[in-house]
Amino acid sequence: MEKRWTSLFGMLWLVVGLPAQLLAQDCNLSLRGQVLNADTGLPMPYAGVVIKETQQGVQSDEHGHYQIERICPGEYTIVCSHLGCDHAEQKLTLQRHAVLDIAMKENAVTLENLVVTGSSNKKAGTQTSSELSGVELDAGRGMGLGESLKRLSGVSTLNTGATISKPVIQGLHSNRILIFNNGVRLEGQQWGNEHAPEVDPFTAERITVVKGAASVRYGADALGGIILLEPKPGRQTPGIGGEAHLQGYSNGRGGIASGMLEGRLAKLPLSGRIQGTLKRAGNLQTPNYYLNNTGVSESNFSWSGKFQPEHWVLETFYSRFFTQLGILRDSHIGNLTDLSNAIERGRPLQDGAFSYDLGRPLQKAMHETFRVKLAHALSETDKLSLQLSRQFNRRQEYDAHRRFNPLPETLDDPNIEFEITTWAAELNWDHRLGRNWRGALGTNAQKQINTVDRGALIPNFDNFDWGVYWTERRFKQGSPWEYEFGLRYDLRHLHVAEQGTNNLDEDRDFQNWSASLGVVYALNEDWKLRFNTGSAWRSPLVNELYSSGVHHGSASYEEGNPDLQAERGFNNSLTLEGSRNDHWTMALTSYYNLINHFIYLQPRAEAQLTIRGAFPAFDYNQADARIMGIDWTGDFTLYKTLHLESKASLLSGWNRELDDYLIYMPPLRFEQGLKWGFNEKKQADHPSFVRISALWVLQQKQAPVTDYAPPPAGFVRLDAELFHTLMWGKQRLEVGISVFNLLNTEYWEYLNRFRYFSAEPGRNLSLRLKVPFNFT
Amino acid sequence: MKINALKLPLLAMLVLPFLGCEKDDDNGNGPDNEQELITKVTLTFTGGGQTLPFSAEDKDGDGGKAPVIDNITLKANTDYKLAATFSHTLHTPAEDLTIEVKNESNDHLVCYVATGAMTSPAIQDKDSAGKPLGLESTFKTGAAGAGTLKITLKHKADKSNANACGTGETDVEATFNVTVQ
Repeated sequence: MEKRWTSLFGMLWLVVGLPAQLLAQDCNLSLRGQVLNADTGLPMPYAGVVIKETQQGVQSDEHGHYQIERICPGEYTIVCSHLGCDHAEQKLTLQRHAVLDIAMKENAVTLENLVVTGSSNKKAGTQTSSELSGVELDAGRGMGLGESLKRLSGVSTLNTGATISKPVIQGLHSNRILIFNNGVRLEGQQWGNEHAPEVDPFTAERITVVKGAASVRYGADALGGIILLEPKPGRQTPGIGGEAHLQGYSNGRGGIASGMLEGRLAKLPLSGRIQGTLKRAGNLQTPNYYLNNTGVSESNFSWSGKFQPEHWVLETFYSRFFTQLGILRDSHIGNLTDLSNAIERGRPLQDGAFSYDLGRPLQKAMHETFRVKLAHALSETDKLSLQLSRQFNRRQEYDAHRRFNPLPETLDDPNIEFEITTWAAELNWDHRLGRNWRGALGTNAQKQINTVDRGALIPNFDNFDWGVYWTERRFKQGSPWEYEFGLRYDLRHLHVAEQGTNNLDEDRDFQNWSASLGVVYALNEDWKLRFNTGSAWRSPLVNELYSSGVHHGSASYEEGNPDLQAERGFNNSLTLEGSRNDHWTMALTSYYNLINHFIYLQPRAEAQLTIRGAFPAFDYNQADARIMGIDWTGDFTLYKTLHLESKASLLSGWNRELDDYLIYMPPLRFEQGLKWGFNEKKQADHPSFVRISALWVLQQKQAPVTDYAPPPAGFVRLDAELFHTLMWGKQRLEVGISVFNLLNTEYWEYLNRFRYFSAEPGRNLSLRLKVPFNFT
Repeated sequence: MKINALKLPLLAMLVLPFLGCEKDDDNGNGPDNEQELITKVTLTFTGGGQTLPFSAEDKDGDGGKAPVIDNITLKANTDYKLAATFSHTLHTPAEDLTIEVKNESNDHLVCYVATGAMTSPAIQDKDSAGKPLGLESTFKTGAAGAGTLKITLKHKADKSNANACGTGETDVEATFNVTVQ
């Protein structure tokens, strides 16, 4: 008899053979088998195989064989772990001697992502990270990347109105966070607070947020953290499959349709995938009025192909993202007088009305990624890979006011346009030293050209980056200690050309080291401590060095400072993690980060006078800063399938030179939810649930007084969610109903740059349907 | 199902990403950075047998030096006609942008605020919907003294609002010192 299961997360394939043997009643049963790599089918040596309940465990030999003796009959959970692989678990009823072959899915990151140096069974290595996948990801991703990540503790967003949202990790955002989409470092116009990341969350099956400086593996600049978007691993079995998503939203009367289709041949190891998303929404509504011109239109598609002969992987990937975002008409103001008029009103001038029309002010952003990756397994443990990529990003901004005297053919031209092209190459060697050390050595280079059209906010520039890194991790089966260290060296050459009609023609060079050290100590089976310390740096960017001009949305005049030095961060974090089977899990992280030469906007004593009146002026300045805080997340079973979910983020940002608070730091947030699961037996992989949660945000008391208006009052918001999996014949359907802002509370978020002009959107009822399908 | 029918599309997916990348269309074309903004506002006062132009001009655009604003001198107890014009003077020849304001008259409104010895001008012209525009106005000076005149050009102001000048966004704002003698 042979039986085949798909495991909990669909990442593990198990083939179980139960040969008819003598029934044994006493504790002399044995379990044996072989651990195999699910991708290559090759044996995996030195994997740990443990029976969770009895703690009996062995390590597989060099041919992947293992044998556990003297087991009593009963129900067990077999846990298999291997460096660089996803943790595999399978329940098993043992009545006689059994043979269990375990096929382990190599960690998606190791396989799919070359920048990440797959030296761990968790992508973040010893670092603190949170992950969004499955239902939680499905529920949020229609709202965009920033909003979906808000579900994780320690992650908030910096918004510009209701349509533009940027993720903030432990108080840092924009250029201090790196986003990797399918292994490629996203390069666009990330410097602007109103420039949302150009990625389609529907391409990802799993989004991981690594908190704190992660520069060593991912490149300088990542002082705040990393966001990894990973697609579903390529199809492993011949045939055709895919999934379809349909979502509808009441607020904005929006709709999303997204689909993915993939296939794999039986004879040739060739697979491929196409994916696309369409999104359309109209004006959003707050509890008391509509927000004129806040519609969105988005169309994205991607395709990929993978050829996987023995020991080799060749992968190509192309994606295109295009969005048009309407910007609240009332936010476009002329000068300081207009801004104080708007703040005094506290809301848009008119009540507005619903419309799908997208008028000025408007943003259009297009992002294209092309990537080719070649990887070769040198041996069981060593892998060499090369990745080449090209990205192109065009951002067009349309002010409320057209240009004066337009020629008829330029009537609909943007007021300003940025175009950036990035070429990158990465070479990485994953290796193993002895039995317990595993690491990666690699180098990457990147060339970038940026042009600015019809405006002089930032100059045209091109830059060249080069980096080399080395990380090693020690992990010994059975030892409570785990260590990791990394070292990196980066250099950047920046050439600045014209800014408007002014030819700067300047060259700047930056270079420096980053280093990190991480330790994990398992106190016992339930509790684990993680400590990470490191130092990272970030070179000042072109907007910080040279920006010059008026930002209409915020009625501010910003001026760069060509003398800025690089930022240097010193990061420390300590995490206590605990979990006990299905009863509870929790993680408490405290962090203390010092950033020397932290670059920020310093208000000027005198307003900048222009022919349009006075604008508050800001200079890019730097000072030593400190950011510290606590992130908390927990899940406790209260009664049977009733869970309490709890999250909190506390943060404090301080300018150590001015003895003042840092501006735009997230206020204290607490979120408590009750989740009741049902239908768990029928759909163990996709259990149904109902959840109600309350978000409580305090007023930001730790804000500098230089803001135009004081931080808004705190608020409490209720959200509710229902998820249910049902079978329609043999077809599985996943249905979700969510209500955001259940009580239609009117509130303002401190981290929304448009809080001067309007409240946050009101109640939003959304319906979603996911249909996975498969033909073999 | 015949999986081998997939062979061609899958091979295509492996190869197709090489095609169809967009390019930066500005490389090597030099700067194309002209943004036409109003940099000069001129107020022409006609009355008492004289035509007197006064202007406020920001010669280097936003940032850098503050705008230079003339001092206005007018005769006491005199009827004046006031005409406002706007232009872009950062390149030669200067471009008259008043036509632009007239062509989109519904979207524009010129507001005046007077203090001290200066009297508020009364708007004489109308936009295409019959609402005030403000490029032409009249007023009569009173006794001699000092005061100020603030002119604001508003874009997309809500002209039906009682406080129309408090709405919309500001394209031009300049405050002149006025001497009535």
